Amino acid sequence: MEPLDTHISRQYNVELENVRSLVLQMGGLVEQQIEQAINALVQGNVPLAEAVIVTDYKVNNFEVTIDEECNQIIARRQPTAGDLRLVLAVIKTITDLERIGDEAEKIARMAVRLAGEERPKNNYMEIHALGTHVRQMVHDALDAYARMDTEAAVRVAQEDLKIDQEYEGVMRQMITFMMEDPRTITRVLNVIWAARALERIGDHARNICEYVIYLVKGKDVRHISLEQMEKEVREGN
Amino acid sequence: MAPDKGVQVMRAMIARRKRWDVIFAIVGLFSMLGGVVTLAALIGSMAMEGVPRLSWDFFTSFPSRHADKAGILSAWVGTTLVMLVTALTAVPLGIAAGVYLEEYAAKNWITDLIEINVTNLAGVPSIIYGLLALGLFVYQLDLGQSIVAAGLTLAILILPVVIVATRESIRAIPGTIREGAFALGATKWQTVSQHVVPYSMAGILTGVIIGLSRAIGETAPIITIGALTYIAFLPDSPIKSEFPYVSFEWLSSAFTVMPIQMFNWVSRPQEAFHVNAAAAGLVLIVMTLLMNALAIFIRYHFRKRIKW
Amino acid sequence: MPQTAMGTLKAEVKDLNFYYGNYQALKSINLPVADKQITALIGPSGCGKSTFLRCFNRMHDLYAGNRYEGEIGLHPDGVNILNPKIDPIEVRMRIGMVFQKPNPFPKSIYENVAYGLRVRGVNKRRILDEKVEQALRGAALWNEVKDRLNNLAFNLSGGQQQRLCIARALATDPEIILFDEPTSALDPIATASIEELIAELKEQVTILIVTHNMQQAARVSSYTAFMHLGEVVEFGETGGIFTNPSKKQTEDYITGRYG
Repeated sequence: MEPLDTHISRQYNVELENVRSLVLQMGGLVEQQIEQAINALVQGNVPLAEAVIVTDYKVNNFEVTIDEECNQIIARRQPTAGDLRLVLAVIKTITDLERIGDEAEKIARMAVRLAGEERPKNNYMEIHALGTHVRQMVHDALDAYARMDTEAAVRVAQEDLKIDQEYEGVMRQMITFMMEDPRTITRVLNVIWAARALERIGDHARNICEYVIYLVKGKDVRHISLEQMEKEVREGN
Repeated sequence: MAPDKGVQVMRAMIARRKRWDVIFAIVGLFSMLGGVVTLAALIGSMAMEGVPRLSWDFFTSFPSRHADKAGILSAWVGTTLVMLVTALTAVPLGIAAGVYLEEYAAKNWITDLIEINVTNLAGVPSIIYGLLALGLFVYQLDLGQSIVAAGLTLAILILPVVIVATRESIRAIPGTIREGAFALGATKWQTVSQHVVPYSMAGILTGVIIGLSRAIGETAPIITIGALTYIAFLPDSPIKSEFPYVSFEWLSSAFTVMPIQMFNWVSRPQEAFHVNAAAAGLVLIVMTLLMNALAIFIRYHFRKRIKW
Repeated sequence: MPQTAMGTLKAEVKDLNFYYGNYQALKSINLPVADKQITALIGPSGCGKSTFLRCFNRMHDLYAGNRYEGEIGLHPDGVNILNPKIDPIEVRMRIGMVFQKPNPFPKSIYENVAYGLRVRGVNKRRILDEKVEQALRGAALWNEVKDRLNNLAFNLSGGQQQRLCIARALATDPEIILFDEPTSALDPIATASIEELIAELKEQVTILIVTHNMQQAARVSSYTAFMHLGEVVEFGETGGIFTNPSKKQTEDYITGRYG
């Protein structure tokens, strides 16, 4: 992958740099949405949750805008090699970011429902922990994207395993709650939905890491084990 | 709305620069008129003097001591036959030499030297050719003061023109046409004979005719080799009624040509002969113009098919 | 013919050096040419791609002072076509060429296509008719010109002229056809039809194409060689070259960066 700002056509440099930074802006917004959704849920803060739900349209707008920019670059510039991979990676990344935004909105909706319910003794500590972990993962994935750092991308992708384990743990705990006190079933189901959404966000973050590796190395590392992914990235350095 | 100041300044500047266009156009027009008017005056005065003298008899009579009975029969027949020999010799030789130099000869200092020589030969005074021909054709080869000697002399005279014209028109053929033929597996001879020469024929023939129209008016070399000024007979006919039907006797016949006939008449004191000379001059000019017309026609005819 | 991971090879270039006088224009080039495939040569102006192409039909022999070193083995017989003992005419009878600018002869459409056969001494009208029709059909030109075969080739449009030149090359059943920037003088529509034709031709003949239009190489070829300063910098499957080239120089060129 060559630096973006070395094309003979300066206008082309500007266009590519523009989509790249739009993706980072969109990522920043999505990160904020996750954080606020989790806070809203944990604190039972309904206005904050509603703000998250309302703000989702901004994420969607970002997706539409960036998609259009990419279409224009493909139609006008016929990008090749690294440029082509950048545009393709951007198109895929924004799809995942938009899904993450939807998941954050889902969590916010759960927060609204849970606010009216009795709060558990641990104050949703498990959701807070899982959420913080997932938010950090999204942050690191975007960071790897911004720096085109494949090593970091592999490390972040590996985090997804831990997220999955943590999610399993949360699930077991929730099942225990329900068995102990069947009156909590409705509430706990909503918590499970939120945990499920966080787990999905982890998967999307992992996808973004895979796009970073494709973008930089030109290698498709989807649907393979993490060990293989690591090997592919280390190869040919 | 009045144009602003910047535009006005620009307009003034354009007008100033364009003044030179007008000045040159006027100077050029007068220069051109100088040439054209002189030529027209010459032809006009000759025509006024000579046209009344033109008649069928003028073309079919031999020269005579009596101006009113004298004609140009032996002169125009002589000119035609000499031109025939010249064309038949100079064209194949010139084309072959031109093609060889352009297509076959190695490009080195020897060919450069030859090229310079050929170009310079075209500028050698014609009387020098006459002297050369006198020594070579008339005495060495013992051709005598004949049509063939005159024809060969004029052939040498126009050979450089033909060679240069051949080379120039070969060079005008795009390299890709030549390469196209070679790429199909053609040999050099196939490429030259089936493409290069046919496609450059227009230019070659134009060069040939320009050469011939120079040769038709040449007097000096013909006088040098000893053309007669007074011929009251025709050369032997090239076509015979009995086997083998053709004869080359005419080649060794004594002869005269149009410009010599004119010279002869002009140098006489009687005014009536001067009128004859004007009439003959008119015929010679028409012959030259016809040849130039032929050159234009050929060029048009051949070029019609070729666009590059 | 040799079999490799690329499939059957039609030609192999080994350590080819080429000199215009003292100037070395091509430097130790090695390149396999896959049989019945399209191989594209791309690179900036003056990189030697046309010079390289013209080695394949010994076009450089027409001009003094040119010198080859190394070999181009032409299969199935594996003869080194650069061997000075091999007559360039023999090479050109096996390998046809289509030029940058359409260069039909100032003759009729029919005679243009028939010329390669006439050069080979074919003069029987029946055979010529058959071959001319076959070649014109092969070049997707037959339907447009079948009623005016005796018209001058210059009366055709630029794209038609170039297809006529392709038909002219096809008529003698060459083993390889060399295309030297065949669409650089044509408009986009004519270019598309020539590209389509080239893509169809690979069913019957091996094709080498030089192009300064990278998208064209990407569209039509199976293999691409990127040349720079007389060397083959990178060679590989076209898909790989255009999505993930392995050399920086290649990437800089195809993405339009400062070289």
